[in-house]
Amino acid sequence: MPIELIILFSMLIVFAGGVFWLKLPSGVAMAAASFIGALVGGHGIPVRHLIEGTFGYLDAVLIISTAMIFMKVVEATGALGTISYGMIKSLYRSPSLLMILVAFFVMFPGMLTGLSSACILTTGALVAPALIGMGMPAVSVGAFIAVMAVLGMIAPPINIPVMIIGGGVDMPYVGFEKPLIFLTFPLAIVTALYYRFRFIKKIDVNEVLGKLPQSVYDKHGIKLFIPIFIVVGLMIGVRFAPDGIPDFGIPLIFMIGAVVGLKTGEKVDAVKVSRSAIRESLPVLGILVGVGMFVQVMTLTGVRGYLALSALQLPPELLYPGIALIMPAMGSAYAASSVIGVPILFVFLGRNEIVVTSALSLIAGLGDLMPPPSLLCVFAAQILGIKNHFTILRAAVIPIIIALLFSILTIVYAADIGSFLQ
Amino acid sequence: MEKHHYIAVVFLLAGGILSAIASKDFLSMRDADILHPSQFVTTTGMLSDYLPEIKGTYGDTKVYYFNSGNPGATVILLGGTHPNEPAGFIAAAVLVENAQVTKGRLIVIPQSCASGFTATDPLEACPTHFTINTQSGPRTFRYGARGGNPLHQWPDPLVYRHYPSGQQLSGMESRNLNRSYPGRVDGSFMERNGFAIVQLIKKENVDVAFDLHEAAPEVMIINAIITHEKGSDIAANAVLNLEFEDLQYSLEISPKNFHGLSHREWGDSTMTFAFLMETSNPSQGRLRGVTSEALVVEGNDPFYKTASKLDNVRITYDSSGEPLSLRVARHLQGFKRLVESYNEAHPENSAIIENIPEYNAVVSDGVGKYLK
Repeated sequence: MPIELIILFSMLIVFAGGVFWLKLPSGVAMAAASFIGALVGGHGIPVRHLIEGTFGYLDAVLIISTAMIFMKVVEATGALGTISYGMIKSLYRSPSLLMILVAFFVMFPGMLTGLSSACILTTGALVAPALIGMGMPAVSVGAFIAVMAVLGMIAPPINIPVMIIGGGVDMPYVGFEKPLIFLTFPLAIVTALYYRFRFIKKIDVNEVLGKLPQSVYDKHGIKLFIPIFIVVGLMIGVRFAPDGIPDFGIPLIFMIGAVVGLKTGEKVDAVKVSRSAIRESLPVLGILVGVGMFVQVMTLTGVRGYLALSALQLPPELLYPGIALIMPAMGSAYAASSVIGVPILFVFLGRNEIVVTSALSLIAGLGDLMPPPSLLCVFAAQILGIKNHFTILRAAVIPIIIALLFSILTIVYAADIGSFLQ
Repeated sequence: MEKHHYIAVVFLLAGGILSAIASKDFLSMRDADILHPSQFVTTTGMLSDYLPEIKGTYGDTKVYYFNSGNPGATVILLGGTHPNEPAGFIAAAVLVENAQVTKGRLIVIPQSCASGFTATDPLEACPTHFTINTQSGPRTFRYGARGGNPLHQWPDPLVYRHYPSGQQLSGMESRNLNRSYPGRVDGSFMERNGFAIVQLIKKENVDVAFDLHEAAPEVMIINAIITHEKGSDIAANAVLNLEFEDLQYSLEISPKNFHGLSHREWGDSTMTFAFLMETSNPSQGRLRGVTSEALVVEGNDPFYKTASKLDNVRITYDSSGEPLSLRVARHLQGFKRLVESYNEAHPENSAIIENIPEYNAVVSDGVGKYLK
């Protein structure tokens, strides 16, 4: 057995053992797995690498911390409940239409920012109570918004995995709109209808509304939504009017929204809300720090390269299933795009590279759902109060398989699809 | 105190101790690399001489001038645009420590992205330094990050919009010097650096400009000379001459719709003939095995050896390895032939640069022999 596989298995065993037997937090188990991986790989205890790895997801740590504070403020002001209330009240007669609209609503921030977690932490969190109120189990709600977050990240106008793959092969980000719409919009509709027909039978609107927090719109009016307008406005504004609106960065945008929210609705105890947000976020932040160590040690020991090479070595008959399995298994859209997406694109040269890259970006995007980090499932679990985030991944299996099949078929028929979309 | 308070204290202490140990490594990257300029270096300056706004920042970097005193062309060579591509930096260092210019001028910036030499990229597990055995014993050089240090420009936007084209790139490219050209004085840290370099090229009336790079072996443009369309004849002639020496270089013309790169923007915004060269660096590659200092210097990687035999993807990797000496030798030989090719095309305004070590000598002796 290659040493890289021995290292990988050692890390996975320590991680699983830490979580399931010793009941350690996932982040701590990942740190322990990283220590063991480095030792087995003959690198001793590479302190610099372990610490450096913790910075790999620093931006994500800041985004989640601030987004959680923002969401807690918006919840406390009554805006969150008011949106859910209004959504169900106006669309309960057409659950299919409601689900499709909700799907695109959840995708919206990801389309504009290119960031999947923004979908879960903003619009996903806004619709979650309404969906639960309509009868969807919480884990299915989590799965639905997690899959929509991936589709939002991949849908145009902004797709960062495509930019990463394009950056590796000197391909400018031009001409991707149609292929990305072709890939994501039908999947969004199919996924929305899958969850609608599986879980939402008949809505007793009075019963559902009775379970939700009441609307405070009459009391505060449009002022209630100002923090949301500011956050979404700044995210969009910086994309479409970069010379007029400064790029504050996502964490600062969330903090601006949170501060403004203190005076736009019900009274909010800023300290209490912030403490609660950070306390609830800490397990997620711990996972991100641990994942950074884990990935750094995988790279240091050659495990990452081993996985990338394995993808290229697949025989032709296993190439497509191999891509579908190995790319998401990188556990991160960005890592999958860079490590696997770039070399694998060379295998498909001669087909329509724009269509192939678009499809690869979707497969890479599904990596955000996959362990070890299962980042989007962790975020969804966070906002829904679900302890085991893997239950969310399990509830998303069918849409994930559909998305993978659709992406693979798109790669197989890339040349024809490219001609069709011209 | 309760039990969980003790646990918290233990974890905090452990974190503090580990961070203190790691900080020694991180801080060591702020110690500048020392070069020993050749006696023929006439003056040294700083990049901030062309843009005072960057003086005292980590964007400022040393500039070495070889002025022959005889009228002729001005040539500039940039190494270290990407500090994780050491062959460019070391080739520039070899020139600084050896070259002699008898006609025209040579300007060398060995560490063009000085900021990037002060950090490594998280998750890439790269070494902070690598060592070369030289005439005076082992010398250690920094192996940095692809882009600038995030401490000097942070946070990355989600999407980087290149100025002035408006082209969109992933946010991390905002710290990439070779996506920042032509830059702007009131722009970001990296845009200012790019602007300073373009100002230098303009103010010094640079005729020929080189930007030395490396790339992962799976990238298409390996062992390539990339040029702005203005320089295509010069590059074609040089590639032909290099082939006579059994050195294969592919010739690529800079894409017109891919902005921010040196070969595109220097060519568009100045009078210079712009060339960029790439070698195959397995320590940057996505398929690499163990990431180590040895991989940087010796360039031996079992995974790339396997990958180079695959039929379904082009991997530019010699099965005997891609050592740093060979990569530096390619850069120096390519530079030499391109300057000669320029001279042939512009005999009235040529530059003569001597004491550049020969390709075969650098490969066989090791690059350390040409470092003092």
